[in-house]
Amino acid sequence: MFTPEQMSRILIAAPRDVMVPVISELYRRRLFHIEDFVEDDHEEYEGYRIGHPVEGAGETSKELLRLRSVTSAFSIRPDDIEPSQRLSASRLKDQIETELPAIEREGEELLATRSGLENQAKELEQKIDQLTPFTGVPIDLSFLYGYRTISVLAGSVPKKVEIGAPHEEYYVESKTGNLLIVAVPNEYRPDVERTLLDAQFQAVAIPQESGLATERIAEYSARLDAVRREMDDVSSRIDSQREKHAGFLVACDELLSMDVERAEAPLRFATTDHAFIAEGWVPSESVAALSESITEVSGRRAFVTELPIDKGKDVVPVEYNNVSFARPSQLLLDVYSRPKYTEIDPTLLVSIVFPIFFGLILGDVGYGLILLVTSLALRKFMKGDDAKMLLAVLRNASISSIIFGFLYSEFLGFPIPGVYATLPARHLNIGGEAGGHGPAVPELMIMSVWIGIAYITLGRILGVVNHARQDHGSHRIFAILANLGWIMVMWGILLMIWSAFPMPLMPDLTGFPPLILGLSLPAILGAVMIVLGIVFIAKESALEIVELPTILSHVLSFARLVGVGLSSVAIAMVVNFIAIGLIIEPQLENLTIFGVIIIIVGVVVFLIGHLMNAILGMLGGGLQSLRLHYVEFFTKFYKGGGKKYSPFGMKRRFTED
Amino acid sequence: MAELDVAVQVAEASQLGMKALGAGLAVGLTGIGTGLAEMSIGSAAVGATAENKDVFGLVLLLTVIPETIVIFGLVVGLLLLF
Repeated sequence: MFTPEQMSRILIAAPRDVMVPVISELYRRRLFHIEDFVEDDHEEYEGYRIGHPVEGAGETSKELLRLRSVTSAFSIRPDDIEPSQRLSASRLKDQIETELPAIEREGEELLATRSGLENQAKELEQKIDQLTPFTGVPIDLSFLYGYRTISVLAGSVPKKVEIGAPHEEYYVESKTGNLLIVAVPNEYRPDVERTLLDAQFQAVAIPQESGLATERIAEYSARLDAVRREMDDVSSRIDSQREKHAGFLVACDELLSMDVERAEAPLRFATTDHAFIAEGWVPSESVAALSESITEVSGRRAFVTELPIDKGKDVVPVEYNNVSFARPSQLLLDVYSRPKYTEIDPTLLVSIVFPIFFGLILGDVGYGLILLVTSLALRKFMKGDDAKMLLAVLRNASISSIIFGFLYSEFLGFPIPGVYATLPARHLNIGGEAGGHGPAVPELMIMSVWIGIAYITLGRILGVVNHARQDHGSHRIFAILANLGWIMVMWGILLMIWSAFPMPLMPDLTGFPPLILGLSLPAILGAVMIVLGIVFIAKESALEIVELPTILSHVLSFARLVGVGLSSVAIAMVVNFIAIGLIIEPQLENLTIFGVIIIIVGVVVFLIGHLMNAILGMLGGGLQSLRLHYVEFFTKFYKGGGKKYSPFGMKRRFTED
Repeated sequence: MAELDVAVQVAEASQLGMKALGAGLAVGLTGIGTGLAEMSIGSAAVGATAENKDVFGLVLLLTVIPETIVIFGLVVGLLLLF
């Protein structure tokens, strides 16, 4: 439960002519994590080479590539598609030969047509853009170009320009820019250009068209419309093709991917001319069954054996081994880092404590319900394993939020009538009508500090266990003592504080008589623990001494459970006060038609405010409690960096044998 | 006598106000401090994640480390107010 799945190192040696059935069996079983063979790596593998792909791998790869280009053009993603029924692999193989080429051809044609139409539309748009400045020009555009001795310049100017040289000009002012067309004899062109440049003239190209600009634009627009209609038509045909073939295409994709993976497996094996060796990892409980079936399919010619594991050198792939309740939290672990094989796997702890922290922060029945409904509703829309795990985490967190909502007696910031807050109340005095005695902030703070102390102590104890399991020799003793040292320093400080100040919800040790230097017995005990702890820490690594203040900062960091929670309560109560106290209630006293509108506004403010706060609460509650795990808890014992166990094989979703 | 009462009331009220100001400053200034600290870490973290997605957990951790500053401010603020 607190350790990853136990793995065994397996070696399979067999003659080459049974390679294909062995690979197929390994693939079907989906248990064997292949350890890639690297040439010139081991002495014992002298003379072995990396294998060659099975015959036909090249063609299958090519076929897969073509298929992928079509699926990506149709924007079909296997993850988005719910498998309706499984297609049989043998029939699919026939269909791949008979039907797939036609579908691919059709798809390619449609896509080519669409991109051709897109180009046409772009061209037409460009032409219209070019003509637009000339819409006001009342003459045939063909008069503006094609002269040998005269140059025509067109463009926009900020204001009318005086041109010295002999010329003809046309000038029209408009809001979009003043158009100036100037015709000058070629010899004066440089002078005129300079004058125009000074006047901030911005040239536009003269369209090579004949007829009035407006007429041409109308014609091009009509053609553009036609092209767009055609594009819509093609797009809808593409859509219908996608609808029709999506299931078939993803099934083909799966089948071909499987073929390719199987065909390329020898690239990861060590081979000679007549034999091959595959090394890899298998969950220990499945070793017997797998080796039995491998021997079986090879006609008793394959040799399967278990190799000893060298914990120092071998990188054992890690597969989680959790109860189903804790499984969604593996996502949170993977985001940080997968545990190493020899390490404690804290998934179960995270799966229990994360929702509790979330509930402590966002303890509100109303928000809990909103998030619960959201997480359940989103399951319909979000596909994929990661999304499902995330939603399960959110679901657990919102259930915990509802439970803590009852403990805090909160519903959208209101106290729940008839429910007495078991935990210290968080109702603030907003709008002057909180009722009761306001928030019990000191009690909440102490509560969060207690949680911090407990969780950090637990983290250090797990650190002791991890070091005891992973390290060797004198380093092991020092590392264990250092972790104990951290615990001792923390509790020593606590003892000294308790013996000096009485605090609510904490043991009061101020009553002991002073013994030496005005210190009482608990205080002396605390001081001794601190000194001893520091010595233990320093013996492992003197540099760690600079980390001592983190004892204080990490414990106080748990105050965010209260701080972030109070801020969410405050926002909820402010929303209630503004919406109900300030907008709705004054109108209810003497109702008018105008008042009804104001009341509706108040309701909208209420809904939007609480929606925003629910989102903020989810982000705040989620991220803060995640952070408490990552920073304050994991740093005490958890290293991570384990390799993911990815067995050779595929989870089949669309096909079956 | 009445003047004295008023003076005491004024003093008490201004004491409350000062507390509120102090709490506000504690949270606000530490918030700015955290923001400044997280600014450069955050941008570097996003860059690193773009290069290599595996470091996401680690950089998230590094990014939120300065948040402790504002939590201290919050603790001080709450202790002042309540």
